[in-house]
Amino acid sequence: MVFPISAPKGPAMPSVISFFQRLQKAEDTASPPHAWLGALGGVALLALSVVFIWGGIALGVGSPRRLGTGAFPVLTGLALALLSVAIIFMDLRDTSDAERPDWLAFAAIGAALMVFAASVERIGLVPGVFLTVIIASLPDPSLPWRGKLLLGGIVALGCWGLFIGALGLPFDAFKGI
Amino acid sequence: MDIIAGFSHGLLVALQPENLLYCFIGVTLGTFIGVLPGIGSMAAIAMILPLTFYLEPTSALVMIAGVYYGAEYGGSIASILMNIPGTPSSSITCIDGYPMARQGRAGVALFASAIASFGGGMIGMVVMAVLAPVLAQLALNFGPTEYFAVILLGLVAASAVSNGSPVKGVAMVVAGLMLGTIGVDITTGAERFTMGIPELRDGVSLVIVAMGLFGVGELIVSIKANASGAHQNQIDYRQFYPTRAEWKAMFAPILRGGGIGSFFGALPGTGQTVASAVAYAVEKKISPARARFGQGAVEGVAVPEAANNSATQTAFIPTLTLGVPGSASMALVIGALMIHGIVPGPRLLVDHSDLFWGLVASFLIGNILLLILNIPLIGLWVRLLQIPYKYMYPTIIVLICVGVYSINNNVFDVWLTLAFGWAGYLMRLFRFEPAPLLIGFVLGPMMEEQLRRAMLLSRGDPSVFLTRPISGVLIVLTVVLLVWSILSALRAKRRMRGAMRSAE
Repeated sequence: MVFPISAPKGPAMPSVISFFQRLQKAEDTASPPHAWLGALGGVALLALSVVFIWGGIALGVGSPRRLGTGAFPVLTGLALALLSVAIIFMDLRDTSDAERPDWLAFAAIGAALMVFAASVERIGLVPGVFLTVIIASLPDPSLPWRGKLLLGGIVALGCWGLFIGALGLPFDAFKGI
Repeated sequence: MDIIAGFSHGLLVALQPENLLYCFIGVTLGTFIGVLPGIGSMAAIAMILPLTFYLEPTSALVMIAGVYYGAEYGGSIASILMNIPGTPSSSITCIDGYPMARQGRAGVALFASAIASFGGGMIGMVVMAVLAPVLAQLALNFGPTEYFAVILLGLVAASAVSNGSPVKGVAMVVAGLMLGTIGVDITTGAERFTMGIPELRDGVSLVIVAMGLFGVGELIVSIKANASGAHQNQIDYRQFYPTRAEWKAMFAPILRGGGIGSFFGALPGTGQTVASAVAYAVEKKISPARARFGQGAVEGVAVPEAANNSATQTAFIPTLTLGVPGSASMALVIGALMIHGIVPGPRLLVDHSDLFWGLVASFLIGNILLLILNIPLIGLWVRLLQIPYKYMYPTIIVLICVGVYSINNNVFDVWLTLAFGWAGYLMRLFRFEPAPLLIGFVLGPMMEEQLRRAMLLSRGDPSVFLTRPISGVLIVLTVVLLVWSILSALRAKRRMRGAMRSAE
């Protein structure tokens, strides 16, 4: 038995995609992020713990015997505050290379979810899914526009058949714009 | 005798057409997801979670478990053929599996991994059937104080032992506990941190947290990883069935791997990846074929596969008998059960013996189904690897969107999933593990309730946690574990720094 597995080939690309590709290349060659950036995670956690301690105190911590609504948030908030201070110091001393972020995929996947959320109740499931697929496939330059449109169409029709036809979920396939 | 009676009863439950069907769906879906590199069983379980709300609890549990161990079978396929672990725990399988594939022995490697997974799974099942009732019996005397201590130990074990920094892991658990407080406080009825959003009154949905952190978060990471992945062009099967000598060589490693795996699977916090790594390391020391390890030894494929699969079965022991999940996937199991109003704990074996024994027996059936899926139908999965990822991931995004939206037919849930997805990606970027956060999130409400009860019973005296014997031992164990993991992490760092310096 021989199973051929084809490696992705690089087809000709329209200008929008090559723009994305150039963006990706710029990202790949950019200098690694500064060490202090790595400490931002700890800072975010510290901020979160302050919110919970503050909010917990406002809710009322009660007495040791009858812990109030805010007691558990305050206790966990205090623990997280201590831990995040330790994390900030650790990350500041950590000089190893940070992972290279893929902001393109980050933005495109986020945008795809936003488009789905914004469209599904306004224009219906089928056009909503079509748009979601197009947006989600933007960060992959190896798929030409024709392929993106085709994939969007197939997935949209598939969802129509599966979720509305077979499973009977309460979606509108199309809705007046 | 009890075990045999329980098991045969469970077999009847598991063989009901409905449960059989969901078991089949579970293992097939699990293999499918396991084969795809980049998305693990977590994302798959999160995706089917909304579906399980409509099922009988037993069917739901059988299906989730099927996805969980099915992914272990599937994960090894990508490891062997492409040197890319389909699931994190099958990364060890790459060491010997990929060299075997390069030597034209991919078929034997795939066969060995399926057989070893089956053997390991059976060992894990027997251990679970024997050990779980004993542990449950022990835990029946637990009061709120002991429960709080067990949960604390479970949380620390799950976070501190995980890969990465133990301090960050514990921080993630605590953040998860905090996240769990959002919504109406069940004791007082007051709203907490809902910011006036009505959708948050019932708390953040487990499905959304899991789907965001694991589904969306992992997907963002996987796009680049798969675009640049080294795809092998041709896979050659000169031979599929192992020779008699290879069968004999595999037998003892499968038993050893299964034994080591079931031990680490039952410990909270270690799980399949640790199990397969330890089993491989042990085998490399004692095996007569140790010289060939790393160059395509069939034993080197069998051992980690037996270990990680037996660990997936025994992971259910602490989850079901104590209500303490060792991993994020097990936390989802607890979440799924609680949605059905079943609280995992020592009473589960008595009150829901159908559920427990049905699950144990479904391991047997599911593993047999997987053997069929993985030996005669292996070509199907290999073909799946040929589908380029660029077609796959936009489809998965749509499935996530539809799945999340359909829970409440509410767009707000999609927005919240987006927020968790972005958070999950940023957490990975800043080297925070999202798994402990999910465990904390699931156990948070339980932990708070037990803490409140314990404090009420002790009339506000927190020293009970140390003076009551069982909880005292557990707390001391927790502290020891915490200190040990921080020290060993520091030592590993110092060694790495030393190695880097000498390299310069």
